[in-house]
Amino acid sequence: MSQPGVMDETVKSRAGLALNDDFLRKAVKFTTERLRNGKKAASEEHGNWEEWRERGRQIRLHTIAHLDYYLNEFVNNARANGVHIHFADTSAEAASIALDIAAHKQATSVVKSKSMVSEEVHLNHVLESAGIEAIETDLGEYIIQLAGEAPSHIVIPAIHKNRYQIAELLSKEAGEVLEPDTTVLAGFVRKKLREKFLEADIGLTGCNFAIAETGSMVLFENEGNARMVSTVPKTQITLMGMERIIPSWADLEVMATLLPRSATGQKLTMYMSGITGPRRSADADGPDEMHIIIVDNGRSLQLGDPEFQELLNCIRCGACLNACPVYRHIGGHAYGGTYSGPIGAVLTPALNGNIEEWNDIASASSLCGACYEACPVKIPLHDMLVYLRRRKVEDGHGNKLETMGMKGFAAVAANSKRFALAIRLGQIGQKAVVRNNGISLKLGPLKGWNTYRVAPSLAKKSFRQQWNSLDQELNQQQHTAMDTSVRERMQQIVRDRGEGGSKHGK
Amino acid sequence: MDDIATKLKRPRQLHAPIHAFRGSPDFWNELEWDEEQRIQAFTDNFVSVGAHIARMSNMEEVAGFIGNKAHELSAKYLIRQNEQALTDLGLEEQLPNVQVSVWNSAPDVDWRARAAEADIGVVMADYATAYTGSVTVLSSPEKGRSVSLLPTVLILIIPLERLHTRLGETLNRFDEAGRAQLPAGIHFISGPSRSSDIENDLTIGVHGPGIVYGLIVG
Amino acid sequence: MMKVSLFITCLSDAIYPRVGEAMVRLLAAHGIRLEFPQVQTCCGQPSYNSGYWDETRVAAKTILEAFDDSDFVVCPSGSCTYMIHHYPELFVDEPEWLDKAKRLEAKAYEFTQFLVQVLGITDLGAHFPHKVTYHPSCHGSRLLGVKDEPLALLSNVKGLELVPLPHAEDCCGFGGTFAIKMSDISGAMVTEKVDHVKETQAEVLVGLDMACLMNIAGNLRHRNEPVRVMHLAELLYEGVQTR
Repeated sequence: MSQPGVMDETVKSRAGLALNDDFLRKAVKFTTERLRNGKKAASEEHGNWEEWRERGRQIRLHTIAHLDYYLNEFVNNARANGVHIHFADTSAEAASIALDIAAHKQATSVVKSKSMVSEEVHLNHVLESAGIEAIETDLGEYIIQLAGEAPSHIVIPAIHKNRYQIAELLSKEAGEVLEPDTTVLAGFVRKKLREKFLEADIGLTGCNFAIAETGSMVLFENEGNARMVSTVPKTQITLMGMERIIPSWADLEVMATLLPRSATGQKLTMYMSGITGPRRSADADGPDEMHIIIVDNGRSLQLGDPEFQELLNCIRCGACLNACPVYRHIGGHAYGGTYSGPIGAVLTPALNGNIEEWNDIASASSLCGACYEACPVKIPLHDMLVYLRRRKVEDGHGNKLETMGMKGFAAVAANSKRFALAIRLGQIGQKAVVRNNGISLKLGPLKGWNTYRVAPSLAKKSFRQQWNSLDQELNQQQHTAMDTSVRERMQQIVRDRGEGGSKHGK
Repeated sequence: MDDIATKLKRPRQLHAPIHAFRGSPDFWNELEWDEEQRIQAFTDNFVSVGAHIARMSNMEEVAGFIGNKAHELSAKYLIRQNEQALTDLGLEEQLPNVQVSVWNSAPDVDWRARAAEADIGVVMADYATAYTGSVTVLSSPEKGRSVSLLPTVLILIIPLERLHTRLGETLNRFDEAGRAQLPAGIHFISGPSRSSDIENDLTIGVHGPGIVYGLIVG
Repeated sequence: MMKVSLFITCLSDAIYPRVGEAMVRLLAAHGIRLEFPQVQTCCGQPSYNSGYWDETRVAAKTILEAFDDSDFVVCPSGSCTYMIHHYPELFVDEPEWLDKAKRLEAKAYEFTQFLVQVLGITDLGAHFPHKVTYHPSCHGSRLLGVKDEPLALLSNVKGLELVPLPHAEDCCGFGGTFAIKMSDISGAMVTEKVDHVKETQAEVLVGLDMACLMNIAGNLRHRNEPVRVMHLAELLYEGVQTR
């Protein structure tokens, strides 16, 4: 049997660490605000944002609803282009297929551009264990690779690091002291990674979108490293979540409109690349051999599940992270998974299919709905968090104390007499702890609350206790007639509702 | 695939389903700017991300511009695509002190290395989009992807008649062309390489070219 | 005669009865006598949000029963009003209750929605010469779509100086059981919210949902800040009395 108390500690304690790290909080706040403002400006400038969101949603819904068709199309077309397609059901399989390809090519080094899926399957670890150097080339990812840490944000992975920490890390690599100046540090990375690009045996990319009709894969980036790793090395491996499909290039315009604006407030990323197969035989650059590993790892579990299928619509823009007030306070590491923020809170348990271990992430939300409002493809993450919580309870893994509390709640809320009685008892009982109409006691469930607040006391008379006298008082006053136009409005509304006779009671 | 269909609780979808919401909304597809608007929009967008724009009347002016830039930047190596229009620029004659490489113009040369050592890369745009300030380049045996990626400075020559309003106008061509006609690399370039990964501080020229010129010709 | 009923909400019932009183009196002055069906207890949000849906159904049934024959239901909380929109999902397997749920959805209104959309009233003739800032509650504004109505009402209050709240749309950190379960994160959020309230130098913080206001007021009090926290109904009622 699981231990709810211990589990609840994980996100809470990680969050606690984050809340105490001033730099992290400032950095996360600054970054998310910048990105959020960028998105707002870009979407407003573009106009008709709600229509674009709905379009994006429809395209993704359609594709996922017909995933068997479109994935099949993609695979057939990609193969016709000369791509080797592999299927990986689990993360272990994905990593091992990649390793096999590398071993087959006798590769000693792999240069990687940004790929969340590669983090998901812990690819670097698998490659390194086999003695193959795996080098992250995205500036932020490179930094955290040197630091041995996980990304804290989907789009800007190293925001938890300040320039001094970065300078220290890079100076060690450089073998000389580098100034904590962005231009200097970036300049070093450009030079250093150039060598790696040109020497590497294998280039590994993620995949933003895969176009079914032509078997092409699309990459969005600003640095140029994804282009590098898919142009220079002789072998290319692409890791792709099975849901990243869109039907056509025409559909790409919608994604290209939504993704950069939502992620960073850009009209378009500096580079958007559509790669259709390995190099043509007469081409003088591009990989000789290209592999795409299509990864399931729990994605197909969401298919046919009306509550979670929409999760597969996600285009990994990170807008939900930037909108989430909880994320803003605790940063990405507190979520304890590859994916953080609202999408991570749902994706991690959903992909793992084991609610017990990860459910505490689903508790770290006030359900404010900002994520849903921000999502360019309208995924109802706020609803999904409640579904996760409900499944945990239904599976019998609810927190015992909370379950008891809820049963108590139901008992009291079941009928108004009990409810009124409970209030009455509370009014009497609180006399001992009320001071100046407030309760500061830090006991039991009030401990967390009253660390930051003074709890209110119950009113001396509840509304229902006052109702009769209020009603009678108004009866004795001169009755004000309803304005006729108001009455007509109300009657019209009722008529429009099409309720017919219910106006006159049962 | 069968597995997917099972999960979706229906038999395999074997024929193309009707995609009612294909592509951008209708109102968007009606957007068309005239020449002046396109030039202005492209310029504004391109410049806003730290790239440079110059307006040229003809290819002679382009040749002159590139020659001047090469001198200004003390360039030693230049690489260009193997296209007639670029050959006609006569850069080799104009710049005797610069090693001008022509992509894939001879066997047994490491063209990637040539591109990597180049100070300047010169490329013709296949298409361009005003709304996003982007240039589209297609790979081919004569047009290497490396030429627009590896050099320090990138010069993009954009014939005016190839400058369209919307991204979709270019993207739709690839749907129309069909799988078998597509090149291995289709690249949309919207400015210099950049990153804000260090403390949100913007830096230009991370892996791709940090200095980008767009020459609108015509 | 149309039956217009008050959905008081458990918080207002037990802790903030003056909000209910304000609503009743304000509407009475416009010829609408609110009825109060005693059968109601709680909308069920606390248990719903935590995933305890059986318990939620128990509470929800009192609400469905209470308002079954009402023509309009008015509620001083966007989140409780929105909760009703979950009822069809909750009772999908109970046709009788499902029917009640669908009918209730169509006739339930948050207070400012009722004033502006149903009654067509945006000016109650209130006079409230104070510096006020407004916190839009998350469920009400994002999910129920209540955005313009409160602003329209506030703009017509004479003497009222409305100061925009920085980052107004940011959640106050209540989230029901979230505030108890993840108390430190919640605490950080409400602290930030109050920091923003202080920035406005407003005398009064007004809102539409006592859950949020209770949360923010609690932190204000904890920090000895003298900002007065009021529900819009209370503000309007006080405003019409001091004409």
